[in-house]
Amino acid sequence: MKRWSLFAALLMVAFLAITPSPSQAQTVTYAAGADPDSLDPANAESNPSEAVNRMIFENLVKFDPKLNLVPGLAEKWEQAKDGMSWTFFLRKGVKFHDGTPFNAEAAKYFFDRMIGPEKPSRAGLYAPLVESATVVDEFTVKVNMKAPFAFLLNNIAHSASGIISPTAHKAMGKDIARKPVGTGPFKFVEWVHGDHLTLTRNDDYWGGKPKLDKIVIKTIKEDSARVMMLQSGDAHLAVRLPAEDIPRLQKDNKIQLDATETLRVLYIGFNCGKKPFNDERVRQAFNLATDRESIVGNIYQGRALVASNIVAPLTTGYFPLPAYPHDPEKAKKLLSDAGYPNGLKARFMSPQGRYPKDFEMAQALQQQWKRAGIDVTLETMEWAAYLAATRKPLDQTDVEVFLLGWAPSSAEARWILYPLYGTDQWVPKGNNRLFYSNKQFDDYVDKLTKASDRAERDKNLKLAQELLYKEVPQLPVLVTKETIGYSKKLKGVINSPLELTYFDQNTTLEK
Amino acid sequence: MLRYILKRLAMLIPVLFGVTIVSFSLLQIVPGDPAVLLAGEDANPEFIEAIRKEYGFDQPLHVQYLRFISHAVQGDFGVSIRNREPVVNLLMQRFAFTVQLSFLSILIAAFIGLVAGVISATRQYSIFDNLSMVGALFGISMPIFWLGLLLMLVFSVHLGWFPAGGSGELRHLVLPAIALGAASAAVIARMTRASMLEVVRQDYIRTARANGLKEWVVIYKHALKNAMIPVITVFGLEFGYMLGGAVLTETVFSLPGVGRLMVEGIFQRDYAVVQGSMILVAATFVFVNLVTDIAYALFDPKIRYE
Repeated sequence: MKRWSLFAALLMVAFLAITPSPSQAQTVTYAAGADPDSLDPANAESNPSEAVNRMIFENLVKFDPKLNLVPGLAEKWEQAKDGMSWTFFLRKGVKFHDGTPFNAEAAKYFFDRMIGPEKPSRAGLYAPLVESATVVDEFTVKVNMKAPFAFLLNNIAHSASGIISPTAHKAMGKDIARKPVGTGPFKFVEWVHGDHLTLTRNDDYWGGKPKLDKIVIKTIKEDSARVMMLQSGDAHLAVRLPAEDIPRLQKDNKIQLDATETLRVLYIGFNCGKKPFNDERVRQAFNLATDRESIVGNIYQGRALVASNIVAPLTTGYFPLPAYPHDPEKAKKLLSDAGYPNGLKARFMSPQGRYPKDFEMAQALQQQWKRAGIDVTLETMEWAAYLAATRKPLDQTDVEVFLLGWAPSSAEARWILYPLYGTDQWVPKGNNRLFYSNKQFDDYVDKLTKASDRAERDKNLKLAQELLYKEVPQLPVLVTKETIGYSKKLKGVINSPLELTYFDQNTTLEK
Repeated sequence: MLRYILKRLAMLIPVLFGVTIVSFSLLQIVPGDPAVLLAGEDANPEFIEAIRKEYGFDQPLHVQYLRFISHAVQGDFGVSIRNREPVVNLLMQRFAFTVQLSFLSILIAAFIGLVAGVISATRQYSIFDNLSMVGALFGISMPIFWLGLLLMLVFSVHLGWFPAGGSGELRHLVLPAIALGAASAAVIARMTRASMLEVVRQDYIRTARANGLKEWVVIYKHALKNAMIPVITVFGLEFGYMLGGAVLTETVFSLPGVGRLMVEGIFQRDYAVVQGSMILVAATFVFVNLVTDIAYALFDPKIRYE
């Protein structure tokens, strides 16, 4: 009996010894849906990382909440007449969190890193475009281009272009991804993988002392757990709220809901390199059989927008196009014209849980298409396998019809038009999973890319979008909305259309 | 005894070796490419290539495996492809947490299970017995995620007594420990009851009573101690499973434990993390079994390991 009491006592001691002591600091708790991957902006590949990085780092040019380009660490900028260089006039009196002064050297260091041998994962934003960066004087930097590029400022405002401290990067190298040093309103404290990440106020912030003391970003994977934490007050803010819980949350008078229209379009892609999808009439038949209004109204309960353009309305370079009609009878006729009078069978792949209501949407489409004589077998697989399956080259792929989403992280239309439809962007090299190829289209994209004149750029953007509208290598179905919820005591939350939720120096928490 | 322990520990080597081979092969069979997955929908081909090179995914399989093993025997399990953190650090962080949660759960389970089991056995077919056995059936049948969500709804959202998720303080662990311990408590209660019923009918119990010992001494000192062997077996198994990571509980309550690390590692094709956690879980299980066997000897002096 003695021996086993001793055993139990030892267990208790061991247990108490490893239980951490509670902390008492006043903090804002942010319930995120996933752990960040990297806190090095140039290597970050996911939204949870980008949201955190937006608080630690700043860009030369920033997006405002409506995605207009506004001064960040650069107060103003100008483009050379021939489009071959840009000059940025930098803000004075800015310091990195480690005390390193921010100046033209630091800005040049950023560009040098992006085009240099280190090749961060987002190097593609600069390496093909920028020849060099030169220091003009202490607070002026000049960026020399390889060729004119119409959307350079969007790339500069991209999450990947947060300016890191050169001192910290030289000292830490790749480890900067775990101990980030920027100029933003909040400083990095700690990151316990899979659990939480802590930021604290940067008292020396150039834009004034931030009002929040401390931010704890918790990784809460389970949707219902995030909702309950929000309701119980354990979290001040929760992102990625599941649609089922929204009506209930709307009734909670302590909680503010905010549904922001994003840049993400969910679309149905066709393998245009394969019969019968290489026939425009077949794709049009799918299109006419699709009832977008019903999907948005019934499945999304209005928390999405009907789309007829792969470019979402808030994207720079968007042109409005008329809504597609819904006409199953005409769809049947088109199929018959294309040589399928008895309808068509096909494989249809959809992820499940990657995008809000993705699989439910796929099921609805399956039913809608059936009415036009299109019989698809719906398959789903787990995300890693799904991505791998849609990245196979044309001669190996067995993909026919698939569901995917796309959002341009630089908020401009070229990031959609080129990687998704460019002839030289076929998977596995690029992201053209449609095996779409059109010389005319490639020409429009080339022209809009190199345009140094706004009118020329916009003309080609419009032509490219109209061409896709007509040829339907894919069906844009809807634009998603991102719903977040937060305590009504929390003011000044930024819910960007880039699907990033973050705080700045003006965000406050009322007592 | 010491020789026996050393022999059992030596058994770990072939077990762990087998685990590495099985986990490595399974990961290769599963479709999906870690580099493509990391790069996401808007993948950059150069980045995918760079990742493959950096982590050696471009090498033949046997080369990858041999490299993994030769590093692993030196205690280096590689770095996570997701966040570049050394796997050893991740495992230590997560395991420390899992140990806390498991201890608390097993304490709750053991307390409820033993008390309910003993009372049920001594008052067989009484109201208490019937109620606690119905309760035990309920405890075994309830899915953990459902119980977890229900506990959260009642004690966090409505009553506000405990936090709904997150970790760091003891109060964060209370609800998860109850959710995780409920099924174990039920199993332990049933096992204790069955085992006690058998023991209280033995001759020596009648002798003890005839000698005029007080009832509680008879039950707790003479009967319970002898009824413990099967209970300890269950105890060891349950504790082993808990230490192996309680994926559902950890997911529902957003706790940073080993189970979630492993499952998320699988979804993210984070090979190094999956292999590292499989090895840890297997080693833990073997170790808990060993401790269980040693505990038999504590309770029953007839059992000796020579």
